[in-house]
Formats: sequence, structure tokens, C-alpha cells
Amino acid sequence: MSISNIKKEFPIFNNKIHNNDLVYLDSANSSQKPQSVIDRVNEFYTNEFSNTGRSVHYLAVAATNLYENTRSSIQKYINAKDKNEIVFTKGATEAINLVANTFGQKYLEQGDEILITELEHHSNYVPWHFLRQSKGIKIEFAEINDDGEITLESIEKKITSKTKLIAITHLSNVTGAVLPVKEITELAHSKGIAVLVDGCQGAPHLKLDMQDIDCDFYAISCHKMYGPTGLGVLYAKKKWLEQLPPYQGGGGMINDVKKDSITYGDLPNKYEAGTMATAQVIAFDQSIKFLEKIGIENIVKHEQELIEYGQEILRKNNSVKLIGSPKNKGAVLSFTIKGVHPHDIATILDEDGVAIRAGHHCCQILHDKLGIPASARASLGVYNTKEDLDQLNSSINNCKKIFNL
Amino acid sequence: MNIKELYQEIILEHGKNPRNLRKTDNFNKDAKGNNPLCGDNVHIYLKLDEKKKVEDISFEGSGCAISMASASIMTDLIKGKEEPEVKEIVNDFLGMIKENPELKSKNLKEDEKTKLMCLSGVKQYPMRVKCATLSWHTLISAIDNTQEEINTEQLG
Ligand SMILES: Cc1ncc(COP(=O)(O)O)c(C=O)c1O
Repeated sequence: MSISNIKKEFPIFNNKIHNNDLVYLDSANSSQKPQSVIDRVNEFYTNEFSNTGRSVHYLAVAATNLYENTRSSIQKYINAKDKNEIVFTKGATEAINLVANTFGQKYLEQGDEILITELEHHSNYVPWHFLRQSKGIKIEFAEINDDGEITLESIEKKITSKTKLIAITHLSNVTGAVLPVKEITELAHSKGIAVLVDGCQGAPHLKLDMQDIDCDFYAISCHKMYGPTGLGVLYAKKKWLEQLPPYQGGGGMINDVKKDSITYGDLPNKYEAGTMATAQVIAFDQSIKFLEKIGIENIVKHEQELIEYGQEILRKNNSVKLIGSPKNKGAVLSFTIKGVHPHDIATILDEDGVAIRAGHHCCQILHDKLGIPASARASLGVYNTKEDLDQLNSSINNCKKIFNL
Repeated sequence: MNIKELYQEIILEHGKNPRNLRKTDNFNKDAKGNNPLCGDNVHIYLKLDEKKKVEDISFEGSGCAISMASASIMTDLIKGKEEPEVKEIVNDFLGMIKENPELKSKNLKEDEKTKLMCLSGVKQYPMRVKCATLSWHTLISAIDNTQEEINTEQLG
């Protein structure tokens, strides 16, 4: 599958937005879906539907096998050691909440510290805040440098004898900074500290190798990986899934239920209570296939070219200010225009069919640090082209014209 | 739909140079408004005299051109009006943004209506309606809340 005409795989691009071609630059928020993924949802409901795991009839067995196939595909795609290290959740948010709840319940006590960074999305802060309130733990923030990066040193500075877990993003959804997660993990482990990586933005854009990074937990959001909404993945090392208590209770996660005692099921069932997002899981296998067909190396190369091109043209555009200039930068271009509020930018760009996001992108801590209430963000996916970025630039110019800049 | 209908000159001008962007000395009513989704925020200060006439109104805050222009135009219009008139104007404005084709208020002069109608472009942009209405809702909350708290002591 060639990346140069990959747009053809995505039916959404057949639509006109306000009579213009769609220039979709909001993939960090959620990516568009290839036809194969859409078809798979339809096919499953039309011809193969059954609940998984509970019945012995033909359809139930087939659905269970398909569901487990996706688990195996993910295991291979992220190079996890064991298939049972893959837990399905409703999103990355739930994956992080799962860890905060179970790890927090068993291993954290008053005065213990969680180290996060100023780049974190609210979903990698608020769950830890709950523990701050319920258990009296402390939350420390590693600070960004002037380029909007988090370095190994900035992490090291904030580690104390009380640090129990380091929870960091793989790729910032605002500055695009790629964090040295492998080095951070190595450092953390040398001090007996566990590491959670929020892989929401890393997973769609970077080569993933859990055994190489060696982190304890890695959270993935499937809808940002050309997959369905309502689905996320928690990768967790087997030793943790075995030691940690269950998250939610219900059907499917139990072993033996008596009036006075309950035992829980084996992995991965222990963490998948109730009927799961079956159709989404089964369709997500097609997202993995799609990524594999293009090849992550090709995706990285393509997006890297785009990000460099995008930075180049936006830097030349006076009145545009890029947010962050990390040396290792992923598929995100956040910016401000002096004299135009990001919401006005987004509305004006939308008129041309250019879809970007405006706001704090669930990163209020970072925006406070930068001293701005909001920013505009153009984020990339495999389907984007240099023409898309040219259109972004010319719509920005139109915006400046409207505001008499 | 034309983007120029939303961003009319008068809106851009008020957005760029908002009137009454300051804090009234000796204000006796105030309220904060906040649009957490967009990050727009506004703080309205009111000084009503004994007859509940708006002696001064001002605001502080930051936001998009629409929200700043809306607060600017609103504060300009409201100054000098009496409280029941203010409430009537606010309701008329909110009704216009929501559904009514025109403003009906007898408390507004024709040129004031024309100015306010410049904000009617947001009707075509549902996501932006709250930008235009934030300061108006905040004004009502300033009038209502503080009235309950300080009415008897300060204005009695
Ligand atoms: C860095 C980061 N973390 C977490 C999330 C939350 O993911 P989800 O909404 O899929 O749970 C997002 C998505 O907005 C994100 O960008």
C-alpha cells in the first residue's frame, strides 16, 4: 500500500466541507477511519455478531476467536512479550484510570509521590489527583525547557526517595516533543520506580516496542490509530497484572462466586469485566493491518517530512508563532497568531474546509506555563500531504487578512 | 454562509479595542463568567446608583474576537440604563441570538439595535454562540446574585 495515495482509503475525503475539499488536520484529537475498518464493523454486525466468551454456539466461538485475534495482533504490533499483557479498555483514559486505581489502591500511601510532567494531558493528571485527594499522595511536575521538551535531566531532578511511579506522555499533543521514554524507564527502574507511558500520541506515529522501552504500563487510544471509538488498550507487564487487584467487578472477570467468597479469573479476563466493545475490538484488527501494510518506517518518514515542511512554511509566515521547537518532534504543529484568538482562527480555517483544533487541548497546566489561554493546533495523520499544509498556510493568510494584519 | 458576516468590521474593531476593559472603582456588583471549553473568561463589574441605574459598567477578561466584542458592545449600551431595562435588553439579545430574527426591545434606540445585530452572525455558527452570550449571562448573574447579598445593606 503506497502512502502517496492513501487518502483514497478514507471515504471521508469524498465529502466536501463548505464546498471545499476536506483538509483534516485534527488527527491528534481523533484520526479518520479507512474503509476496511468501517466495513469490518458492518460485516461483524451483519453476519458474525455474537457476544464473546460466554456461549458454546458457533457464532460465540467465532466471535471469541476474532476478539482474541486482535489481542494477538496488538501484541505483535507493539512487541509485547505475552498476549495476556494486552487489556482492552474503553480508551486511554480508562487505561490510565485502571492503573491509578489498582496501583494506587495496593502500593501508594500518604506522602508517596507520583512524578508527571508539565506536558501531560488531563487524563494523565486527573486520575492521580483523585489519589492525591483520597490517599494524600503528592504529585510532582517535571518542567519543560524553552523548546517545549522534557529531558531525562528534568525528570531526574524531581525524583525523590518517595517517588513510586513516573507517568509521562510518549509524544506531547501540544509541542510534539517525543520523550526519551526508554532512558527515563531505565533511570526509574534503577531506583525501583515503575513507569507508565501515555502512548496516545506515540502509538499512531512511532515504532512501538514494549520490550525495548521496558516500561511497566503503556496506554493506547485506538480511535487515534485509525480505529473505532470506544476502545483503548492498556499494555501492562504480566507481573503487574498478576499482582494488582481487579479494576471493575462483574461478569467475565470471575473464577468462582460463592455467598461468602469470590475468586477472580485469569489474565486477561481479570481486567475485562462485562461485555466489552466487541465490534470495535474486532474492527481494530483492520487498523493494525492497515498500519502494517504501509509500514511504520514509511509512516515515520512521511510524517517527518511533513512536520519539517510545516515548520518551515509556518516559520516564514510572520505573525505565526510555533509552540515549542523540540529536536525530536512528532506530528503536531501548535501555533498562535498575534492579534487573532485561536477560536477565531479555527472558525475562519473551517470555512476553507481546514479542520484544526483550538483551545488548551486538555493541557491547561502547559498553557498556563506558556502564559497563553489557548492555542491553535494542526495535527497530522498518514493521509496528510504537503498540499494540505500549503492550504493551511494560505487559510492562515486569509485569516490575517480578515483581521487586517 | 460567509465568514465576513461573522467578522464584520465593527466586531473586529471592538475585539481589538474593547471599550470599558477595566475595573470600575467602587463597583457594587460583579460576577465571573467562564467558558471552560474555549478558555474565554470574563469578569463584569457594575456600579448601580440608589435608583438602580447603571452608573458604570466594566469588564476584565480574555477571549476570542466575538466574546470581547460582545462584552465591549454590551457594556457600552448598558451604561446609563436602569436595572429593569437592562434585564429586558439582555433577554431580548439572548432571544435574538437563539431564535428571534430581530430585536424588539423598546429600551434600545435604532442605532443601538443596529450595532447589536452585528453579532447576529454567530447564529450560523452554533459552536460560537456561547462566545457571544458569555458576557450577557454574566451580567445577569452579577445583577441577581449581588442583589441578594447586598441589597438591603448597601442600596437600602
Ligand atoms: C496525550 C493524550 N492522552 C490521553 C488522551 C485521552 O485519550 P482518550 O480520549 O482516547 O481516552 C488523549 C486524547 O485526547 C491524548 O492526546
